[in-house]
Amino acid sequence: MAIQHPLLYPLASAAQISQTPSRADGVPDWLEEDLRAEGCRLIQSAGILLGTPQVVMATAQVLFQRFWYVTSMREFSILEVAMGALYLASKLEEHIARMRDIINTFDLLLSRLRYTLSHPSMPLDGFQYTPMSYYSDEYYAYKDELIIGEMQLLKRLAFNVQVQLPYNTMVNYLNVLGLGRIEDIAQMAWSFLNDALQTPVYAVYPFPTIACASIHLAARQARVVLPEPPEHEPWWELFDTDFEDIEQVCVWVLRLYSKQDEKEREEVFRLLLGGRKEVKKWLEDNSAKNDVAMEHLNQH
Amino acid sequence: MNYIQLEKLGEGTYATVYKGRSRATNEIVALKEIHLDPEEGTPSTAIREISLMKELNHPNILHLYDVIHTENKLVLVFEYCDQDLKRYMDTHGVRGALDPATVRSFMYQLLRGTAYCHDNRVLHRDLKPQNLLINRKGELKIGDFGLARAYGVPVNTYSNEVVTLWYRAPDVLMGSRNYDAAIDIWSCGCIMAEMITGMPLFRGRDNPDQLLAIMKIIGTPEDRVIKKMAQETPDIQFKSYPRFPKVPWPNILPGASAQACDLIDRLLQFDPTSRPHALDALFHPYFTDPTAHHPNSSSVPQPVPVGVMPAPVFHVLPNGQSVYMPQPSNAPGTRAAAPQPYQYAAMNDPSMARHPAYPEQGHHAAFGGQPMHHAPQYAQVPTYGYGQHVHPQSHLQQAQPQQQQQPQHPVYPVAGYPQYPGR
Ligand SMILES: Nc1ncnc2c1ncn2[C@@H]1O[C@H](COP(=O)(O)OP(=O)(O)OP(=O)(O)O)[C@@H](O)[C@H]1O
Ligand SMILES: [Mg+2]
Repeated sequence: MAIQHPLLYPLASAAQISQTPSRADGVPDWLEEDLRAEGCRLIQSAGILLGTPQVVMATAQVLFQRFWYVTSMREFSILEVAMGALYLASKLEEHIARMRDIINTFDLLLSRLRYTLSHPSMPLDGFQYTPMSYYSDEYYAYKDELIIGEMQLLKRLAFNVQVQLPYNTMVNYLNVLGLGRIEDIAQMAWSFLNDALQTPVYAVYPFPTIACASIHLAARQARVVLPEPPEHEPWWELFDTDFEDIEQVCVWVLRLYSKQDEKEREEVFRLLLGGRKEVKKWLEDNSAKNDVAMEHLNQH
Repeated sequence: MNYIQLEKLGEGTYATVYKGRSRATNEIVALKEIHLDPEEGTPSTAIREISLMKELNHPNILHLYDVIHTENKLVLVFEYCDQDLKRYMDTHGVRGALDPATVRSFMYQLLRGTAYCHDNRVLHRDLKPQNLLINRKGELKIGDFGLARAYGVPVNTYSNEVVTLWYRAPDVLMGSRNYDAAIDIWSCGCIMAEMITGMPLFRGRDNPDQLLAIMKIIGTPEDRVIKKMAQETPDIQFKSYPRFPKVPWPNILPGASAQACDLIDRLLQFDPTSRPHALDALFHPYFTDPTAHHPNSSSVPQPVPVGVMPAPVFHVLPNGQSVYMPQPSNAPGTRAAAPQPYQYAAMNDPSMARHPAYPEQGHHAAFGGQPMHHAPQYAQVPTYGYGQHVHPQSHLQQAQPQQQQQPQHPVYPVAGYPQYPGR
């Protein structure tokens, strides 16, 4: 029997999913999805530079995703929530990162991003980074953001910060299916689980569903046929998961690999760097644009 | 604040506990105040304590009513208890030693609360008399979840700095980082002996000294046992220890019944896999045997019937203290007895079938391929409802061909992701 956390496994509610706070504030779907994904990549990259274990980075990304089901991107910046989530996850997983290291790492990553945006044609070789002084206003501002990020995560998630990751469950399932020894499949399913962290699925679906989705994707990729109807009992029923849910998770993950529009991508980076102020401004500009368009439409 | 702060009840390493009274209901509560340090943010102890305790609901677990979160402090509102077990022993015991009926009642409640935690995959990791609270009704409540953590899969490595030294299990003392529920069972055994004698059982000065103190009483395990532990736990190195013989329990716990000694012996097994699960321990004859001799308490009620989790019932002891006692069977509201009698003797057999009444208990259970239950969800998850994202078929059809053209894993994962550890 699989290991479960009967009590400690919060998921977003139907209402939170169908109308996220950001969407209610006018942030379009594509923008919210991209900002969530970029925030997660930021957390992952920072974690790699800091040398934190993968469980910490994964937990942080799940907390980050959960947060946007209770809060709008107009109210909080990606940066503060991402830093807060990484700090919080490092405490939860008993590999406490120093606040100062987290701040320097995020600052480095953002500076590098700023550089690439302003030098689109130049390689990153020309990039130079000088760490901030610990007494600078800049550093204090970062520290405030980190502390606020952590506190707001706790407050708004009402301390629902326990995370159960599906990695080991996935490996168990592969063994049950007799695929545990095929390393390509195991590695690929593992990578899909990593990638899925950039999507909201961990905040929405039970972890067995996510484990099954990664196996489903990996098996397709490796052209391995799993027991399916009509000839067989469906394999996912062995794990008490629902195929429609598995498909939904796959959709989220596969969307990561569709090519992004360059203009849109730049816009996302700009909003990531600018934080909630920039998001607010973007919303105002765009609603103004929409108004003009509406007027134009009404006149004809 | 909705509570009036009254006198100080106790002080821990990171919090101060006050008595408090609700302005609205006049109810007496305990207020645990945690200062928020601007250099550290919210202490991880508070994060653990709240995130776990808010989900636990059991008569033997201290109830967390509310959390008040302000800029610079966190106040946890708990149910009020009169004393912690340490102070209870000092005030009610004879040089700290409690009478056998009280020990039995407290042990029963401690193991019951522990079983509930473990059933919900929560390790307490700091069980000791100061963290067990006793209320006026003689109910024991497990408190201070500041070191607790959820444990899922044994691959995780946990902090080695857990459990106050004297209650720390030998496997943890030897460096284990992938311990499980058995570390709490060890602490339960230490607490039982302490209630019987009034003195902590193993009092080491430091980590190695603590290990020696343990071996001087329960005996140095055979090399075979230590080798096995080293094999099962990568953090434990095989080492030869000085040879100490096992001291018979009656020498250490004068006056304790044979069954009490037997239970302690099982709880305090050097090898963690030999320790019983908390739930199993509740079915030990010490609790269940109707013919058991319990000195000084002719009035011990009916023993716990097999297969029944008793509802709380209070029993007044000769000293006027009311104590929580296992309830007799077939009282209204209790669970029906399980069909088959439970074989206590099989307890240490790893392949042992679980107790029939608790099929979901599966600590070391192998993956049996049975369908699992869904975790009850925090909130209902919709089948569909993603606005524009709800087109699974069309997306799959669009995306999959593109996937299959690529022989290898696509663009992601970003370089630097850890690899599947299978190779
Ligand atoms: N609900 C309660 N009712 C009465 N007294 C309590 C209550 N909770 C705690 N206390 C008292 O306060 C003391 C400290 O509480 P607690 O163990 O929760 O704090 P802590 O800071 O986590 O301690 P530690 O030093 O073990 O980490 C307890 O030992 C007990 O004496
Ligand atoms: Mg304490």
